[in-house]
Amino acid sequence: MSYAETIEDAIGNIKQQTVLMQRCLSQGKLMDALKHTSIMLTELRNPALSPKQYYELYIMAYDSLSILSNYLVESHPKRHHLADLYELVQYAGNILPRLYLMITVGSSYLQSPDAPREEILKDMIEMCRGVQNPIRGLFLRYYLSQRTKQFLETDAQDKKFCVNFIITNFIEMNKLWVRLQHQGPLREREQRTRERKELQILIGANLVRLSQIVENDFALYTDEILPLVLEQVIQCRDVVSQEYLLDVICQVFPDEFHLGTLSELLNATLKLNPEVSINKVVLTLVDRLNGYLDRQENADEQSISEKLKTLKISDESCNLFLVFWKYLTKLNEERPDLSLQELAPLIQGVLKLSLRWYPANIKNVDVLYNFMLEKCKDYGKPIPEDWNYLFQDLLLVQDIIYDPNFLYTVITQCHSYQKLLSLQSVGLQKEVVKNILELISQAEIRITSKDELEKVLLICESVIKGSPTSTETSTSNLMLDNEDDLDSEDWVIQSDQEKLAKISHICYNKSIDVHAELLLSCKNWFYRGGKNIKYTYPAIICNFWRLIRKCNLKARRKPKLAKKLSAMTKQLFKYVSRCINDMFNVCGNGCSDLIYKLNLQTASLADQLTLGEIAYDFFSQAFTIFEESLSDSRTQFQAIVNMAQILQKTRFLYEESYYDTLITRCTLHGSKLLKKQDQCRAVYVCSHLWWATEISLLGEEEGITENFFREGKRVLECLQRSLRVADSIMDNVQSCELMVEILNRCCYYFIHGDENATHVGVKYINGLIELIETNLKSLKMEESGTDAEPIQTSREHYYIGIDGSYIHQSPINSVSAVSTKPPTAKINDLIPVPTEHFERTLKYITEQGEVDGRFKALIM
Amino acid sequence: MSLFFKSPIDIEILFDGEESRKHVEIPNTTSSSARTLKDRYPLYEDGESLSGIVTLRVKEGRKVEHLGVKVSLIGTVDISKSGTEYKKRSVDNFLCLSADLCPQGELVHSQSFPFSFKDVEKRYESYKGKNVEVMYYLKVTVLRKSTDIVKLKRFWCYLYNSIPATHTAATSTDEPKPVKLDIGIENCLHIEFEYSKSRYTLKDVIVGRIYFLLTRLKVKHMELSLITRETCGLEPNQLSDSTSIRYEIMDGSPVKGETIPIRLFLGGYDLVPNVTSNYFNIRNYLSLVIIDEDGRRYFKQTEIILYRTRI
Repeated sequence: MSYAETIEDAIGNIKQQTVLMQRCLSQGKLMDALKHTSIMLTELRNPALSPKQYYELYIMAYDSLSILSNYLVESHPKRHHLADLYELVQYAGNILPRLYLMITVGSSYLQSPDAPREEILKDMIEMCRGVQNPIRGLFLRYYLSQRTKQFLETDAQDKKFCVNFIITNFIEMNKLWVRLQHQGPLREREQRTRERKELQILIGANLVRLSQIVENDFALYTDEILPLVLEQVIQCRDVVSQEYLLDVICQVFPDEFHLGTLSELLNATLKLNPEVSINKVVLTLVDRLNGYLDRQENADEQSISEKLKTLKISDESCNLFLVFWKYLTKLNEERPDLSLQELAPLIQGVLKLSLRWYPANIKNVDVLYNFMLEKCKDYGKPIPEDWNYLFQDLLLVQDIIYDPNFLYTVITQCHSYQKLLSLQSVGLQKEVVKNILELISQAEIRITSKDELEKVLLICESVIKGSPTSTETSTSNLMLDNEDDLDSEDWVIQSDQEKLAKISHICYNKSIDVHAELLLSCKNWFYRGGKNIKYTYPAIICNFWRLIRKCNLKARRKPKLAKKLSAMTKQLFKYVSRCINDMFNVCGNGCSDLIYKLNLQTASLADQLTLGEIAYDFFSQAFTIFEESLSDSRTQFQAIVNMAQILQKTRFLYEESYYDTLITRCTLHGSKLLKKQDQCRAVYVCSHLWWATEISLLGEEEGITENFFREGKRVLECLQRSLRVADSIMDNVQSCELMVEILNRCCYYFIHGDENATHVGVKYINGLIELIETNLKSLKMEESGTDAEPIQTSREHYYIGIDGSYIHQSPINSVSAVSTKPPTAKINDLIPVPTEHFERTLKYITEQGEVDGRFKALIM
Repeated sequence: MSLFFKSPIDIEILFDGEESRKHVEIPNTTSSSARTLKDRYPLYEDGESLSGIVTLRVKEGRKVEHLGVKVSLIGTVDISKSGTEYKKRSVDNFLCLSADLCPQGELVHSQSFPFSFKDVEKRYESYKGKNVEVMYYLKVTVLRKSTDIVKLKRFWCYLYNSIPATHTAATSTDEPKPVKLDIGIENCLHIEFEYSKSRYTLKDVIVGRIYFLLTRLKVKHMELSLITRETCGLEPNQLSDSTSIRYEIMDGSPVKGETIPIRLFLGGYDLVPNVTSNYFNIRNYLSLVIIDEDGRRYFKQTEIILYRTRI
């Protein structure tokens, strides 16, 4: 008998023969029906079919054979005896149709109660050996298992036999499946693997059947099923098969069974083909076991172990981690060749398991990281960047970072964690550290002990040390010195440095001593970062400030400790000073502005705490910086303003005429600024230094407090000086504008002080107003061809800011542009700047006159 | 021709109880057209008596003179020798029993004569092979001055328990000894096969297994065939093999260590038991054939003895 050439013909043939068979059956001609069936089955002998096509034909043949089977069962003792038929069909000359028929008849026979079931089953499975062609054999045996399925299900009394039957079939099928890989030319290997994967379900179905039969019979599983199945899996030494089957085993059998046979399963993975990725298998198992916990209704440990006891699973194997750990050590011994790439996910898997089952057990975590650490060390070479993702996953296991507190515990208590991290490439280290820091700082964790802090900082080492490029430049700094300086001018926002700085914020201890100690170790660590301290030190300094305030508060609350605390406070100031000095030494000019401000701020703080001496020291430091390092004229101006602001609020510098020294110096610096407009503004700002005003927080009140530092004469001097400067400015617009600003200042003093005290009197102000009016008139004359210009409805608006910058508000653009240089605008546009300002000021004065009678004396 | 020279006497031979007797169907090879055509012959066995009635019918109103009516039971071995130049048939009668039914006279009416051969010894089984044919027939001869009128009626004969005497070893023990063979092609194929025994009845089942110790061949399939070999004549023997059964027992290529079961029911086939005689021999061989993917055939034959039993 031969088969059709094409699949279409084959399908047609099967259909036709099926029809013929049915007709014969309806006429009771069994022999003819069998003949047609046999012809139909011949199509399944075609060796040229792909697995998919074969499957298609198989399905059709299966349906067709079902019809025959039904007929056979229905007319069993009446028309024929199935035992006779069983023999009869064996006369078929070709083996494949013969066996299909045999199984069809045999399985029909099984349904009759008097059939010798075991014999038939044994015979069928034995005879199936005749088909050694992988695809045909697989389908034949699949047919066998499909046909016998219902019978094996109903038969509960002899499970063992059924199990053996299925396992035998399974083993043979697997062998065939493996053999499929080795057929045909080598170049079609890939395709063959693909085809095999298409067929895998046929083999897997057996294991599913087993799991249905075994139900809850754990003993049966451990004695009869698992050893045999595993043996087969190991023996076949085929990658596809081993991966698939172990996966199926993990999936189909109950969780409890896996718990009970964990070590067997794991040991089996040791003996697999080296190409099999062990971690895939283990991860499946881990997922399964973790899933088990999720599926339990009350997942506390006790109830689970009780449940396991009912299944007679020993306690020893209940300690999952121990089992896995033993496995890992064994794996290490037996498979030293296993690559890190393989190992990393494996460890990650076990880690997941440990975290899920023993969430509080840090030791486990440590042990695992240590294991990996050893392997990394053994690896010898630096770990390739390609594997970064593996280690990133491992170091930032979801289960750990899920809970930042736990992550923190891991960091502080797992020694291996840091060591493992330090073996990784710098890029990865940074990435990991960044993640860790972010999580920790978001979680409001407090680092309270020095040990912990040291651990955290150790982990952050790579980030602290900064980018490798900066270390490179430092090694060759002879040449790149200048460039280095340029680099340091860049204030790029560095997110990792920012995160690092946050560490100093989360350090906390009730004891001020300890807290200071924590901050100092932060400082020492950060110091290694070189120039990066400009990012991190301010945070530390801030925290010192905070601590100083805390000291002060405590001292006030507990006068007994005051002495000790004041010593402490002084010490803390020294630390701050040390920090600032370090910054100055390391960063150089790059951040002198920052250092200047920090000095001022610290000085202000010291003053607030009545520590005039210290405050003076910081102020003087600030001046030193100003004199030595601040070279930019704008920065200088800003610095003066800043200084003036802070000085004006100090109260405890009066001893030894510190205050006098400082303010004089400040004003002096102000008057020596480069640009005249800056000079002018700095000086009139400095005039406030001789006119202290109330600070209600200190309990001062205007009119009640007597001892304000006020020297009206000096105020007037300042104003006069600045007016002189303003007058001497060549640019009329600016000159006028500055004068208006000075007028404003005068008004301030006029309001806040008695004419006699401030020396800013009606006369002076009137004179100033007159001067401005004159100047504005001459400015107006500069205006060119007003009439020629059409009146613009929406004019370009310009303003001059308090620091001298120009603000340009264009009707077109809603965003205003700010520039320090005079804009290239038409003079016509600039003239209104001082004019309008002046008008506004005059309007104010008029309005003020209604409140304050003194203003009425001012001439408009 | 028969139209013109129609026999004046119609002879009918009827065996006793022929209708109820077992018959065998033998494919008719002489008629070329249809293979399905079969001759039915009544079945007798060794030592069985053969009796019946011979009826001579004469056409109404005619007289037939004869020199006597004789009935004879004849067994022949018919061997056709296909030599190089000529084809010659030699017929040997190994059995010839005769009896006179009627003396010389004249037949006027139809007349019946009973006959009986008691306990006829039949040495050979009826057989129809390619070159050899063993025939049994009853021959009724009406002797006449002119040509005799002859009527033949064939019957078939089975011998039960006819274990060939040549196999003395087999007879010595009752236990059937399994046949084991270990064959192979160096570095290519090595198999061990085993049949449960060497002697089978015609209704028996051949059970066995083939164990593959080494296979480097790409086997396409494997068959078991039963070959019947008849040998006749003097040296050089004239052989004629005919394959009685072809039975595929394996599909695809096995790997080392694989065991393939054999089970072949003989009952459904028309087989011939072994025969050893002076004239010819019939032997049966089991042949295991392995066909590789390039179509090459590797085979190994093993003689088995088939014999007929009553059951």
